Amino acid sequence: MMRNDPIKHVFIWPAVLVVLAISIFPLIYSLTTSFLSYRLIPPIPPRVVWFGNYVSLLQEPRFWNAIYTTTLIAFIAVGLQYTIGFAVALALNARVPGERLFRVALLLPMLLAPVAVALVARMIFNPTMGPLNQLLGRFGLVNLPFLTNGHWALGCIIAVEVWQWTPFVVLMMLAGLQTLPEDVYEAAELENASAWQQFWGITFPMLLPISAAVVFIRLIESYKIMDTVFVMTGGGPGVDTETLTLFAYQEGFKKFNLGYTSALSFLFLIAITIIGVTYLALLRPHLEKRR
Amino acid sequence: MTRERHPVLDGHWPETERDFMAYVEIENVSKAYGPYKIIEGLDLNVADEEFVVLVGPSGCGKTTTLRMIAGLESVTGGTIRIGDRDVTQLRPGLRNCAMVFQNYALYPHMTVSENIGYGMKVRGEARATIEKAVKDVAKILDLEQYIDRRPKQLSGGQRQRVAIGRAIVRSPDVFLFDEPLSNLDAKLRIEMRTEIKALHRRLAKTIVYVTHDQVEAMTMADRVVVMNRGRIEQAADPITIYEKPRNLFVAGFIGAPSMNFIHGEIVARDGALFFIEPSGTVLAVPKSREAAYTASIGKLVVLGVRPDHVVHQGAPAGSFVRMIVRDVEPLGPHTLVIGTVGAFPFTRRCRSELPPSPIGPFDVGLDLQRAHLFDKASGQAIVA
Repeated sequence: MMRNDPIKHVFIWPAVLVVLAISIFPLIYSLTTSFLSYRLIPPIPPRVVWFGNYVSLLQEPRFWNAIYTTTLIAFIAVGLQYTIGFAVALALNARVPGERLFRVALLLPMLLAPVAVALVARMIFNPTMGPLNQLLGRFGLVNLPFLTNGHWALGCIIAVEVWQWTPFVVLMMLAGLQTLPEDVYEAAELENASAWQQFWGITFPMLLPISAAVVFIRLIESYKIMDTVFVMTGGGPGVDTETLTLFAYQEGFKKFNLGYTSALSFLFLIAITIIGVTYLALLRPHLEKRR
Repeated sequence: MTRERHPVLDGHWPETERDFMAYVEIENVSKAYGPYKIIEGLDLNVADEEFVVLVGPSGCGKTTTLRMIAGLESVTGGTIRIGDRDVTQLRPGLRNCAMVFQNYALYPHMTVSENIGYGMKVRGEARATIEKAVKDVAKILDLEQYIDRRPKQLSGGQRQRVAIGRAIVRSPDVFLFDEPLSNLDAKLRIEMRTEIKALHRRLAKTIVYVTHDQVEAMTMADRVVVMNRGRIEQAADPITIYEKPRNLFVAGFIGAPSMNFIHGEIVARDGALFFIEPSGTVLAVPKSREAAYTASIGKLVVLGVRPDHVVHQGAPAGSFVRMIVRDVEPLGPHTLVIGTVGAFPFTRRCRSELPPSPIGPFDVGLDLQRAHLFDKASGQAIVA
């Protein structure tokens, strides 16, 4: 087929239209909405306010609180997921007995629906009736305010996130570990490099590209955390565990303040883009060395 | 050879010892993977500063032997000594061997200088010391202009030089080479061969080198060790291996094209000895060899003739075989004539200026004074 064959349009345009319809159009629609004062209840006709929604959002302490909470959850959870996940992957890569069983068992949490996990977690962490506090009671400890104190509730959400998503890190890092050449380690062994030196000198730098990707994926995903928080705490106590998506949900589907919510989701998009770009810019010099 | 204090190895040999001879002694070493015995009762001594090449077909245990010396492979039985240290149970890092791997095993994320200096860095040596050592090695190996490149940005030959550099920078007791040239093209292989030999002369260190390429073995070694099925078939200097192969395996493995084998029988007739091939060829055993061959009368034997041990003119009667020529391969300096003698494949090498042999039957005179005779049952050479 020649490059200028008009038949190419027949193949390209349907794809372009589908992309426009399902991806670009909603984005533009929501961008337009974000410049309007647009409420469904009470039904007031939309009115153009330009950056009014953005300005009032940026002046809203609850918005900054949501940003802080989300960032806190995302960074601590991903940090723990990466550290624990990498360690588990290293252990599984070392051909321990029963390694295949461990592998399957460790991947199970990732396969569960976050809502189900959050429901179970809510029951376990229930301050008065939950089994965890009962167990602690057996040892003579006082009931802990797992979901009723802001700090404890954040900790519980992070714990659930770590429990559920560490397997993803394990899976990716294990795949990476298995691609590493063996003779490089033999060479290091002959140099009398200790296991620790081999890890920091060889394994970690060689897996840096895949680590960067894993952390990036998990970070972006964690910023979008919704179901776990929604089920476990509903953003409470107060707004102590309210994340950006939950805040957007409250504004959009409790108050039906659509213009405001659209502006919020665009600010969210900008925030994630800034984080992503900064992250990649920080890592670039290290990754480029490895080309 | 005086030995300075080594940060890692101190304490692993007596403090009083200063003259360290880096000979390698392999004593009754065996290796088995589960029920599969790869090596059984291997004995090998490598002298200090000797260049020993282990050669053999794939699966003969040569690489396993090398890896056992390095400590990358455990031994099932026996002892390995380097100098007078028993290193059998010592981990690789404490044996002070440096190894050059077939696939180079360079650290892909490090530059050439980082690769070469990694071992010293691991041992916690001062940065200035490392830099100086790396610089010196880069100079020896002509790598100075590539010092900041990564392995990916280097050619195969350059990568191999980096791998060698990484080995020599730590001044080990023993160098181990595991088929280091097999990933290089033919021309580069010849160049690197010369370089490694020159390096051996310069460093004067013990080298154990594994290859499946007999040309490498013959050209580089002080002593060639031919291995087969986990055993040493013969260990000797290259010329002895070529001129006096101890058995059929060595005779057939060393030499390219390989030795021609004609199976037959030794018979005594009218007070003289003859070699009779089943299809009817009769060769007279030279007088000088009759005494040695008397014991083989009536036994099945194999006559071995190297492709160049043919006589082009004036061969005596009783030294001719009828060769059926099937192909002629001109190689430039010489020509290979390929065919059969009786039921056995036969190749002879002639000078290229001689007229090519016609396809079909052709009488070839053999230089029987230089032929070899082997007992067919045991495969051992019958030495004249």
